[in-house]
Amino acid sequence: MILALILALSAGALVGMQNIFNNKVNEKAGSWTTTTLVLGMGFAASMAMGLIFEGKQMFVLQNMQPWYWGSGCLGVGVVVCLVQSYRRLDPTYAVSIVLTSELFFALLWDSLGWLGLEQIPFTLNKLIGVLVIVGGIFVFKLSGETKKQKKMQMKLDYNA
Amino acid sequence: MRGIVFALFGGAFITLQGVANSRISQDIGTWQAAALTQLTGFLIALAVLFFVRDGSWQGVKRVKPIYLMAGALAAIIIFNNVTAIHRMGATFTISAVLIAQLCMTFLVDSNGWFGVVKKKMKLPQFIGIGMMVAGVIILKF
Repeated sequence: MILALILALSAGALVGMQNIFNNKVNEKAGSWTTTTLVLGMGFAASMAMGLIFEGKQMFVLQNMQPWYWGSGCLGVGVVVCLVQSYRRLDPTYAVSIVLTSELFFALLWDSLGWLGLEQIPFTLNKLIGVLVIVGGIFVFKLSGETKKQKKMQMKLDYNA
Repeated sequence: MRGIVFALFGGAFITLQGVANSRISQDIGTWQAAALTQLTGFLIALAVLFFVRDGSWQGVKRVKPIYLMAGALAAIIIFNNVTAIHRMGATFTISAVLIAQLCMTFLVDSNGWFGVVKKKMKLPQFIGIGMMVAGVIILKF
Protein backbone atom coordinates (compact mmCIF):
# COMPACT_ATOMS: atom_id res chain seq x y z
CA MET A 1 0.00 0.00 0.00
CA ILE A 2 2.68 2.50 1.06
CA LEU A 3 4.91 1.32 -1.78
CA ALA A 4 2.07 1.71 -4.28
CA LEU A 5 1.40 5.21 -2.96
CA ILE A 6 5.07 6.18 -3.32
CA LEU A 7 5.10 4.80 -6.87
CA ALA A 8 1.96 6.78 -7.78
CA LEU A 9 3.28 10.01 -6.23
CA SER A 10 6.63 9.77 -8.00
CA ALA A 11 4.83 9.00 -11.27
CA GLY A 12 2.77 12.17 -10.78
CA ALA A 13 5.84 14.30 -10.11
CA LEU A 14 7.43 12.97 -13.31
CA VAL A 15 4.23 13.63 -15.28
CA GLY A 16 4.34 17.24 -14.08
CA MET A 17 7.94 17.59 -15.25
CA GLN A 18 7.29 15.84 -18.53
CA ASN A 19 4.39 18.18 -19.30
CA ILE A 20 6.63 21.20 -18.85
CA PHE A 21 9.40 19.78 -21.04
CA ASN A 22 6.98 18.60 -23.71
CA ASN A 23 5.39 22.05 -23.85
CA LYS A 24 8.81 23.51 -24.58
CA VAL A 25 9.24 21.16 -27.51
CA ASN A 26 5.65 21.79 -28.63
CA GLU A 27 6.19 25.57 -28.81
CA LYS A 28 8.92 25.17 -31.40
CA ALA A 29 8.19 21.89 -33.14
CA GLY A 30 4.39 21.48 -33.37
CA SER A 31 2.20 18.89 -31.69
CA TRP A 32 2.63 15.87 -34.00
CA THR A 33 6.39 16.19 -34.16
CA THR A 34 6.37 16.42 -30.35
CA THR A 35 4.09 13.39 -29.96
CA THR A 36 6.22 11.29 -32.30
CA LEU A 37 9.37 12.28 -30.47
CA VAL A 38 7.90 11.70 -27.00
CA LEU A 39 6.52 8.26 -27.83
CA GLY A 40 9.72 7.27 -29.61
CA MET A 41 11.82 8.27 -26.60
CA GLY A 42 9.42 6.45 -24.28
CA PHE A 43 9.68 3.31 -26.39
CA ALA A 44 13.48 3.43 -26.43
CA ALA A 45 13.65 3.97 -22.66
CA SER A 46 11.15 1.18 -21.88
CA MET A 47 13.06 -1.17 -24.15
CA ALA A 48 16.35 -0.28 -22.45
CA MET A 49 14.91 -0.74 -18.95
CA GLY A 50 13.34 -4.06 -19.95
CA LEU A 51 16.64 -5.29 -21.35
CA ILE A 52 18.52 -4.21 -18.22
CA PHE A 53 16.10 -5.87 -15.80
CA GLU A 54 14.93 -8.87 -17.78
CA GLY A 55 17.51 -9.49 -20.49
CA LYS A 56 16.28 -11.81 -23.20
CA GLN A 57 13.04 -12.34 -21.30
CA MET A 58 12.06 -8.92 -22.65
CA PHE A 59 11.22 -10.57 -25.98
CA VAL A 60 9.13 -13.38 -24.53
CA LEU A 61 5.54 -12.20 -24.90
CA GLN A 62 3.40 -14.76 -23.15
CA ASN A 63 -0.37 -14.76 -23.72
CA MET A 64 -0.03 -11.95 -26.23
CA GLN A 65 -3.47 -10.96 -27.53
CA PRO A 66 -3.86 -9.28 -30.93
CA TRP A 67 -5.65 -6.23 -29.48
CA TYR A 68 -2.60 -5.37 -27.40
CA TRP A 69 -0.99 -4.09 -30.57
CA GLY A 70 -3.77 -1.52 -30.83
CA SER A 71 -3.15 -0.05 -27.41
CA GLY A 72 -0.95 2.68 -28.87
CA CYS A 73 -4.05 4.24 -30.46
CA LEU A 74 -5.06 5.43 -26.99
CA GLY A 75 -1.94 7.56 -26.67
CA VAL A 76 -2.68 9.17 -30.02
CA GLY A 77 -6.30 9.71 -28.97
CA VAL A 78 -5.04 11.51 -25.87
CA VAL A 79 -2.95 13.93 -27.93
CA VAL A 80 -5.71 14.69 -30.45
CA CYS A 81 -8.26 15.40 -27.70
CA LEU A 82 -5.92 17.52 -25.60
CA VAL A 83 -4.68 19.61 -28.51
CA GLN A 84 -8.24 20.22 -29.75
CA SER A 85 -9.54 21.16 -26.31
CA TYR A 86 -6.64 23.56 -25.68
CA ARG A 87 -7.40 25.25 -28.99
CA ARG A 88 -11.06 25.74 -28.16
CA LEU A 89 -10.93 26.50 -24.43
CA ASP A 90 -8.83 28.52 -22.06
CA PRO A 91 -5.99 26.01 -21.31
CA THR A 92 -6.49 26.33 -17.54
CA TYR A 93 -10.13 25.34 -17.96
CA ALA A 94 -9.22 22.55 -20.34
CA VAL A 95 -6.70 21.04 -17.91
CA SER A 96 -9.20 21.16 -15.05
CA ILE A 97 -11.81 19.33 -17.13
CA VAL A 98 -9.29 16.72 -18.31
CA LEU A 99 -8.17 15.96 -14.73
CA THR A 100 -11.80 15.76 -13.55
CA SER A 101 -12.69 13.39 -16.35
CA GLU A 102 -9.66 11.18 -15.53
CA LEU A 103 -10.90 10.77 -11.97
CA PHE A 104 -14.53 10.03 -12.81
CA PHE A 105 -13.57 7.43 -15.39
CA ALA A 106 -11.18 5.82 -12.90
CA LEU A 107 -14.06 5.58 -10.42
CA LEU A 108 -16.29 4.13 -13.13
CA TRP A 109 -13.76 1.47 -14.18
CA ASP A 110 -12.95 0.50 -10.60
CA SER A 111 -16.64 0.14 -9.82
CA LEU A 112 -17.32 -1.95 -12.92
CA GLY A 113 -14.12 -3.98 -12.62
CA TRP A 114 -13.49 -3.75 -16.36
CA LEU A 115 -10.36 -4.90 -18.17
CA GLY A 116 -9.20 -7.23 -15.44
CA LEU A 117 -9.30 -4.58 -12.73
CA GLU A 118 -10.21 -5.93 -9.36
CA GLN A 119 -13.75 -4.69 -8.82
CA ILE A 120 -13.89 -2.15 -5.99
CA PRO A 121 -17.52 -1.68 -4.93
CA PHE A 122 -18.86 1.83 -5.44
CA THR A 123 -19.67 3.65 -2.21
CA LEU A 124 -20.97 7.13 -1.46
CA ASN A 125 -17.63 7.86 0.24
CA LYS A 126 -15.78 7.28 -3.01
CA LEU A 127 -18.04 9.72 -4.83
CA ILE A 128 -17.65 12.36 -2.11
CA GLY A 129 -13.86 11.83 -2.10
CA VAL A 130 -13.66 12.32 -5.87
CA LEU A 131 -15.90 15.40 -5.70
CA VAL A 132 -13.69 16.98 -3.02
CA ILE A 133 -10.58 16.27 -5.13
CA VAL A 134 -12.27 17.82 -8.17
CA GLY A 135 -13.17 20.85 -6.06
CA GLY A 136 -9.49 21.08 -5.11
CA ILE A 137 -8.42 20.93 -8.76
CA PHE A 138 -10.72 23.81 -9.70
CA VAL A 139 -9.68 25.91 -6.70
CA PHE A 140 -6.02 25.29 -7.57
CA LYS A 141 -6.35 25.96 -11.28
CA LEU A 142 -8.96 28.67 -11.63
CA SER A 143 -8.35 31.10 -8.82
CA GLY A 144 -4.62 31.35 -9.24
CA GLU A 145 -4.06 33.82 -12.00
CA THR A 146 -5.33 37.33 -12.18
CA LYS A 147 -6.37 38.60 -15.61
CA LYS A 148 -3.28 40.77 -15.77
CA GLN A 149 -0.95 37.84 -15.13
CA LYS A 150 -2.72 35.82 -17.78
CA LYS A 151 -2.33 38.54 -20.38
CA MET A 152 1.35 38.84 -19.59
CA GLN A 153 1.79 35.11 -19.87
CA MET A 154 0.08 34.98 -23.26
CA LYS A 155 2.32 37.71 -24.55
CA LEU A 156 5.41 35.86 -23.34
CA ASP A 157 4.25 32.58 -24.84
CA TYR A 158 3.74 34.34 -28.11
CA ASN A 159 7.20 35.82 -28.09
CA ALA A 160 8.91 32.58 -27.17
CA MET B 1 -18.93 23.02 -26.13
CA ARG B 2 -16.84 20.86 -28.48
CA GLY B 3 -13.78 21.89 -26.50
CA ILE B 4 -15.38 20.45 -23.37
CA VAL B 5 -16.21 17.18 -25.15
CA PHE B 6 -12.62 16.87 -26.36
CA ALA B 7 -11.34 17.54 -22.84
CA LEU B 8 -13.67 14.89 -21.38
CA PHE B 9 -12.57 12.32 -23.94
CA GLY B 10 -8.93 13.27 -23.36
CA GLY B 11 -9.30 12.48 -19.67
CA ALA B 12 -11.14 9.24 -20.40
CA PHE B 13 -8.35 8.15 -22.77
CA ILE B 14 -5.65 8.92 -20.20
CA THR B 15 -7.38 6.74 -17.60
CA LEU B 16 -8.18 4.03 -20.12
CA GLN B 17 -4.53 3.99 -21.14
CA GLY B 18 -3.44 3.30 -17.56
CA VAL B 19 -6.06 0.59 -17.10
CA ALA B 20 -5.30 -1.05 -20.47
CA ASN B 21 -1.56 -1.00 -19.75
CA SER B 22 -2.11 -2.67 -16.41
CA ARG B 23 -4.28 -5.33 -18.10
CA ILE B 24 -1.70 -5.96 -20.82
CA SER B 25 1.15 -6.12 -18.32
CA GLN B 26 -0.57 -8.98 -16.50
CA ASP B 27 -0.03 -11.08 -19.61
CA ILE B 28 3.23 -9.95 -21.15
CA GLY B 29 5.02 -8.07 -18.33
CA THR B 30 5.22 -4.38 -17.40
CA TRP B 31 8.28 -3.27 -19.39
CA GLN B 32 6.96 -5.21 -22.35
CA ALA B 33 3.57 -3.48 -22.08
CA ALA B 34 5.22 -0.05 -21.81
CA ALA B 35 7.46 -0.72 -24.82
CA LEU B 36 4.63 -2.18 -26.91
CA THR B 37 2.07 0.59 -26.39
CA GLN B 38 4.64 3.28 -27.04
CA LEU B 39 5.99 1.55 -30.12
CA THR B 40 2.53 1.35 -31.70
CA GLY B 41 1.72 4.89 -30.58
CA PHE B 42 5.01 6.09 -32.06
CA LEU B 43 4.31 4.42 -35.41
CA ILE B 44 0.79 5.89 -35.62
CA ALA B 45 2.03 9.36 -34.69
CA LEU B 46 4.81 9.05 -37.27
CA ALA B 47 2.27 8.14 -39.96
CA VAL B 48 0.06 11.11 -39.01
CA LEU B 49 3.09 13.39 -38.99
CA PHE B 50 3.89 12.24 -42.51
CA PHE B 51 0.48 13.40 -43.73
CA VAL B 52 -0.05 16.46 -41.57
CA ARG B 53 3.49 17.82 -41.70
CA ASP B 54 2.90 20.33 -38.96
CA GLY B 55 5.92 21.89 -37.32
CA SER B 56 9.42 21.06 -38.44
CA TRP B 57 12.60 19.29 -37.50
CA GLN B 58 14.25 22.67 -37.82
CA GLY B 59 12.18 23.67 -34.79
CA VAL B 60 13.32 20.59 -32.92
CA LYS B 61 16.94 21.64 -33.34
CA ARG B 62 16.21 24.86 -31.50
CA VAL B 63 14.99 23.04 -28.39
CA LYS B 64 17.44 22.29 -25.59
CA PRO B 65 18.43 18.59 -25.85
CA ILE B 66 17.43 17.89 -22.26
CA TYR B 67 13.82 18.86 -23.06
CA LEU B 68 13.79 16.47 -25.99
CA MET B 69 14.67 13.63 -23.63
CA ALA B 70 11.55 14.09 -21.50
CA GLY B 71 9.73 11.31 -23.33
CA ALA B 72 12.09 8.80 -21.73
CA LEU B 73 10.52 9.57 -18.35
CA ALA B 74 7.44 7.74 -19.62
CA ALA B 75 9.15 4.38 -19.02
CA ILE B 76 9.23 5.03 -15.29
CA ILE B 77 5.83 6.76 -15.28
CA ILE B 78 4.11 3.79 -16.94
CA PHE B 79 5.91 1.22 -14.77
CA ASN B 80 4.91 3.04 -11.56
CA ASN B 81 1.38 3.70 -12.76
CA VAL B 82 0.73 0.10 -13.75
CA THR B 83 2.19 -1.31 -10.53
CA ALA B 84 0.17 1.13 -8.41
CA ILE B 85 -3.08 0.34 -10.28
CA HIS B 86 -2.47 -3.38 -9.67
CA ARG B 87 -2.05 -2.81 -5.97
CA MET B 88 -4.61 -0.15 -5.09
CA GLY B 89 -6.98 0.35 -8.01
CA ALA B 90 -7.37 3.12 -10.57
CA THR B 91 -9.22 5.77 -8.55
CA PHE B 92 -6.70 5.89 -5.73
CA THR B 93 -3.71 5.70 -8.05
CA ILE B 94 -4.93 8.48 -10.31
CA SER B 95 -5.81 10.70 -7.34
CA ALA B 96 -2.27 10.34 -5.98
CA VAL B 97 -0.76 10.95 -9.42
CA LEU B 98 -2.79 14.15 -9.85
CA ILE B 99 -1.81 15.52 -6.46
CA ALA B 100 1.89 14.95 -7.09
CA GLN B 101 1.52 16.35 -10.60
CA LEU B 102 -0.06 19.60 -9.38
CA CYS B 103 2.49 19.89 -6.55
CA MET B 104 5.25 19.61 -9.14
CA THR B 105 3.64 22.28 -11.34
CA PHE B 106 3.29 24.40 -8.21
CA LEU B 107 7.00 24.03 -7.35
CA VAL B 108 8.20 24.77 -10.88
CA ASP B 109 5.85 27.73 -11.40
CA SER B 110 6.59 29.33 -8.07
CA ASN B 111 10.36 29.02 -8.50
CA GLY B 112 10.44 29.76 -12.21
CA TRP B 113 12.52 26.63 -12.90
CA PHE B 114 13.33 25.48 -16.45
CA GLY B 115 12.78 29.01 -17.79
CA VAL B 116 9.08 28.93 -16.91
CA VAL B 117 7.48 32.32 -16.23
CA LYS B 118 7.55 32.72 -12.48
CA LYS B 119 4.08 32.82 -10.97
CA LYS B 120 3.19 33.82 -7.47
CA MET B 121 1.38 31.00 -5.71
CA LYS B 122 -1.29 32.21 -3.36
CA LEU B 123 -3.65 30.87 -0.77
CA PRO B 124 -6.05 29.22 -3.29
CA GLN B 125 -3.26 26.88 -4.48
CA PHE B 126 -2.59 25.72 -0.94
CA ILE B 127 -6.32 25.28 -0.29
CA GLY B 128 -6.66 23.37 -3.57
CA ILE B 129 -3.90 20.89 -2.70
CA GLY B 130 -5.30 20.58 0.84
CA MET B 131 -8.74 19.73 -0.58
CA MET B 132 -7.26 17.11 -2.90
CA VAL B 133 -5.42 15.42 -0.04
CA ALA B 134 -8.60 15.53 2.06
CA GLY B 135 -10.50 13.95 -0.84
CA VAL B 136 -8.00 11.07 -1.02
CA ILE B 137 -8.39 10.46 2.71
CA ILE B 138 -12.19 10.38 2.29
CA LEU B 139 -11.73 7.89 -0.58
CA LYS B 140 -9.95 5.54 1.77
CA PHE B 141 -12.69 5.43 4.40
